[in-house]
This record gives sequence, structure tokens and C-alpha cells, in this order.
Amino acid sequence: MMAAPGKGMAGPAGVNTTSFQKKSRSKLVSIPGTRPSVQNGQLIVSTGVTSLDYVIGGGLAVGTLLLVEEDRYDSYSRMLLKYFLAEGVVCGHEVFLASARDHPDEIMQELPSPIVDEVGSVKTKEGQAQQCDQENQDTMTIAWRYQNQPKVQNALASSVRFGHYYDVSKTMEPEVRQAVKCHSFYALQESPTTTESSLLSSPYHALLQSIQSVIRKEGFDGSTPQSKVRNVLRLGLHSLGSPLWGDDLCCTDNPAHCHALTTFLYALRGLLRTSLSVAVVTVPSHLMQNKSVMGQIIRLSDTAIALESFRGSEKETNPLYKDYHGLLHVRQVPRLNCLVCEVPDTKDLAFKLKRKQFTIERLHLPPDLSETVSRVSKIELAGGCGTTATGNKHLDF
Amino acid sequence: MLLNIVHGTESGGFIVVEDTVKYSGREILKCFINAALKRGEDVHVLGFETSEAELRAGLDSSCVQKIHFHKGHPDPLGWTCKSSVTVHQFTTRDITQLVQNVPHTKASVLIVDSLSFVLRHHQPVVICQRLQELKKVGVVKTIVGLLHSDLHLQGVVKSVCHLANAVISVAPANNEHCGMAKTTRRTKSGKLMQEEEYFDVSEDAALSVQTRTHQPGHVQIEPDKPKADPTSNLTFNLRLSKKEKEAKEKVALPFVFSQEKKSALLRPTPGSGRITYEPDAYDDLDEEDPDDDLDV
Repeated sequence: MMAAPGKGMAGPAGVNTTSFQKKSRSKLVSIPGTRPSVQNGQLIVSTGVTSLDYVIGGGLAVGTLLLVEEDRYDSYSRMLLKYFLAEGVVCGHEVFLASARDHPDEIMQELPSPIVDEVGSVKTKEGQAQQCDQENQDTMTIAWRYQNQPKVQNALASSVRFGHYYDVSKTMEPEVRQAVKCHSFYALQESPTTTESSLLSSPYHALLQSIQSVIRKEGFDGSTPQSKVRNVLRLGLHSLGSPLWGDDLCCTDNPAHCHALTTFLYALRGLLRTSLSVAVVTVPSHLMQNKSVMGQIIRLSDTAIALESFRGSEKETNPLYKDYHGLLHVRQVPRLNCLVCEVPDTKDLAFKLKRKQFTIERLHLPPDLSETVSRVSKIELAGGCGTTATGNKHLDF
Repeated sequence: MLLNIVHGTESGGFIVVEDTVKYSGREILKCFINAALKRGEDVHVLGFETSEAELRAGLDSSCVQKIHFHKGHPDPLGWTCKSSVTVHQFTTRDITQLVQNVPHTKASVLIVDSLSFVLRHHQPVVICQRLQELKKVGVVKTIVGLLHSDLHLQGVVKSVCHLANAVISVAPANNEHCGMAKTTRRTKSGKLMQEEEYFDVSEDAALSVQTRTHQPGHVQIEPDKPKADPTSNLTFNLRLSKKEKEAKEKVALPFVFSQEKKSALLRPTPGSGRITYEPDAYDDLDEEDPDDDLDV
């Protein structure tokens, strides 16, 4: 083992611009689509969205659970789930999808298609900043010494590329999708069976059994001998806790089986920890009446994020938010086999779903000057200074 | 958008008409029935709250035989065994049977008057599951349910509306005779559309929509206060005349250099700091390692 891996040098504005690669004897299994994390050596997979990978500390660790609190109309959380599954297909992992509302096959048919020849829309930001600054050398008359300093980066990206990009306007080819093994579970097709355990309500129990049988049969927990190449199982569970799963958490303050979902998550996490699998669960938290349940659910998952879309709320018309589709809140980041977890250095994150990328950026509030001055413009994005038409903006000092 | 949904230009699904005690949504239900009849579709009405006569009033009498009214009123729970459908028969199987009993030509529309009544007598979770099954089974193309939002818990209303493809909330308009409808529609691809419209329903169940600008009561638009000019009413002059402005521009700034010196200074240096060391006479610059003669 080489010298102890230290945290890479933080660049300006706290951005982790490290190109540090840990050199180690590869005792870790090398599975396509995974890599060891720079921070703590855990095996991580990409969520399909590179900015989300950065926000949660490099990626999703294998054996953990990512909880996504849905936005009000389930547009963006569903998109995140599709990105996660599409990434699994592209990396060659196995995929398990469970849903209650739309049939899993319908969701699988809507997966975005991967962009094969990456034009590299996200190059390293330093290089781009240098180039465009040389064009605008005459813009600053007094502070010209600062011209070549890299501008503050709003877009979050790490220097090492991990994960793929997808084009939302096209769906994945069926051949690509069928190259990967997909298991599905549709809650409405399960006949309600009386279960011995009164802890879990019927659809959750059936779902847990289905997941357990897939893990055992395909050998993700190491039970079958190592004849074939090891692989990772990606579980996508859509809208758990909604009434279609037979759970009345969303309907009343005092649900009859208030511990059904929490028991399920506890058992699911146990299954995940003992196998090479990773799960993304979306939960309609805006429907839940009892707020303490949401706190329990967050504790029972490893990483937890919440999406708040501006659509249909009064924030839609707020000029501060006009460039974005919603806010992203990171509720919890796990500490896996280490004392400190990797958190993003800002809590104001906003997301925007573009055709080729789901970007998550720092939300900068403009300085609040007097009411008469309308300085709503934000600091230009480093990557976009060559493309935006605002080259004449003077920075007044 | 309200007209599009009522006239069924958008493909069916589950539509919720949400009303309160202040303004009834039953007129919108009648518009749905009317529009479906005009399209030649079979309409099945589950009437638990109002009598058949009341719902038939004002509808086009020529296509009256296409309406299949399943009488639940005045005995929705089946106590006197006089009704053809009871609330307990709101299951996928029973409704499918009801719809298939009638020889149908095109897609059918199911109107539930009202969904609130059904929700009071069953578990909300069960009803949500049954509605989803009905949608998936495909026997009925469109399901329109009337929901009285002030009769249920917030969670129940939100859960049912979450399932719906479109939600029409009606409310009384401020000073107007007509009503205000806030329509929210969610397409399959996840796109969301919202609109607020003023509508009026005539005697023969025809819907007319007027798009009006927002009444001032709805949106608080702050009137632009006249901006106070800070440079007025002072004992000293803060303004610049044109000549003074030109003179200000011409002032040579202390660190303004020529272009060559600027670019020379801006060129990236190899290191941010440079240490130049000049050894003086007393320095012993011996390249050998001083610890070499130690016995370690």
C-alpha cells in the first residue's frame, strides 16, 4: 500500500479539483462501472447524473440506499430514477425496478439514450476560463490584474470523469436495453396474501421477498460460486409510501401500519449491505402528513436528497429562480467506514434539467442592494462565458 | 385548457373535479357528460349523491339513451334494496361488469358522483388502488370523479389528486357571476400545465370559458413607488455635468500601464513566489551530506 491517501488539494472557492488517484494493490474486485472512492476507498457507482455524484461525495457506495424525496408532480424524481437505471444498462449492471403506478416495462421504455460520442460539454473548467479571459482583456480598466483568475465555478463537477451523459429527448434503443438483465415488480399485479409477519404490509413483504430471491438466485451475495464475472445489482423502487403500495402513510396522521415502510427500509438496507447491490428509492414526502415519519425514513437510508420543483408554486415567478427548475436539498450524507463524510460546501443547490445534462449548481443570491437597484444578474458561469451574449458586462468596483 | 379537457381532446385517464361548499363542481360534471354524449361515447354515471332527474336536467334529450344511470341515490348503502348500485360495489370487478353489461360501441366514460361519498365508506388506500386498476384495465377510457375537498383530510385529497391526470379545482370568482377553475394537467412525459380560467355553465350544460386578467384581489402587484432621487435637496452638488464627466474619464489612473507591460505582468509566472539566495562569504555550501560520518 502506498502512502496514506490524503484529501486532494482544494482549489479556489473550495472546489475539489483533485486529480489524485489512490494507488493500491487491487484487492478490490474490479467490476465495470464501479471504481474505488477517493475519499474512503468504498466501491462506488455513478447515479447517472455527474453533478449528483459530485454532490453526494463522488458517487453511490455499493451496498447503500439513496432516498429521493419526490417533487410535487413527480417529474424530476422520476427522471433521476430513469438516469440511475440507464446508467446501469450502459455499465452492464443488472437492474431491478419496482413500481406501483406505471408498469415497470413502461418506465424501462422511457429510459434516456446515452450520448456515445461525448463532445465533452464538461471540460475542465480551468482551461475554458483561461481561454475566454484572454478574449476580454480590455473589459477591466482598474482591476485588470485579476483578469486571468479563474471565475467562480457554479457548476459542480469533479476533475475525474465518472458516469455517462444522456439525451433526454431520445429513448434508449431496445437492443441496448435488452442486453442487460432486468427484473421487475409491479405492485398491482401481486395478489394480497396473508403474511405471517404482521410487521410488513402485503406489497412490501412481497417486494422484499422478490428482491431477496433475485439477490440469492443471481449470486449477488456471494452464495453461488464465483463461476461468472461479479456484477452489481441496481434496485430502483418508485414512489414507496404512496397509497398504491397499500400504505396509508400519505392519507392520515395516524396510519394504521405506521411502521410498515420503516420496517421495509430497515430490512432492505440489511439486504443491501450483504450483497453487491445499490438502491434508489423515491418517496412522495409532500403527501406525508406525519412529519416525524419522514425523519425516521431519512435516518434509515444512507444518502438522502430532496427535490423541490418550482413548477406550480409561487417560486416559479421569482426572478431569482428563473434559470432553474428547482432546488435540491441534501438531507443526509453517510459516513461509511470513516469518521467524516464528504458534504458539498454549500447548501443552496439548484438543479436544471437540460436536454443533454441534469445540472446541479450553486445558487448564488445577488447582493441585496437598495430596492431601486435591480441587480438580479448572477455571476456568469465559467463554462458559459464564451457562449453567453453578455460579454459587455462591466464589473463595477 | 379546461375546454380541451372537458371536450376530451386530450386522451382520457383519471380526472378529478375538486370543489368546496362555496362553489359546486356538479355543473362541470354535467359538461363532461354532455361532451361525451356529443362524441357518441357511452356514459356510465354512478349517482350516490344526487337523484337521476337532477343530473339529467338540461342534458340533450336526443342522446339520452346513451347515458346509463346506475342509481345509488336515495339509497346508496343498499338498506332498502331499492338501488341498482351501492357504494360497496365500487370494486374493479363490479364496475367492469357494469360497464360490460351494456353493449358498448366506443370507449366509455365513467362519472362518479361523488368520489367523496365512496371515500367516506372505504379506506382511501383501497380506493386509490382500485382507481389505478380501473385505469390500467382499460375498460373505461375516462374516469371523472367529483371530490369535495372540505370533507376529507388534507392527505386524502392530496393522495387522490396525485393519482389523477388532471385536477380541476373550482372556486367562486371574486365579484363575478361565473366561477373560477384552476386546472392542473400532467402529461405522461411528466410535463406539467397549469391554468386559471373563468367559466360559465349555461342551462343546457354548455361550458363557456372566459380568459380574463387576474383580478387585483388575487395578485398583490406592488405599485411602483416614485424613486426618490438622492442627489436632490442637498446643500452640496453631487451631480456631474457633461464636461466634468469627460474630465473624470481622462484622469490617469495610478496603475494604468501600457499594453505591453500589462500583458507582461499578466503572463502566468512559473511560480507564485521566487526565492533568490545569494550566499555570502561565511556560508559553507558543501554538497555532501553532513550526517555521513555518523555511526548510525
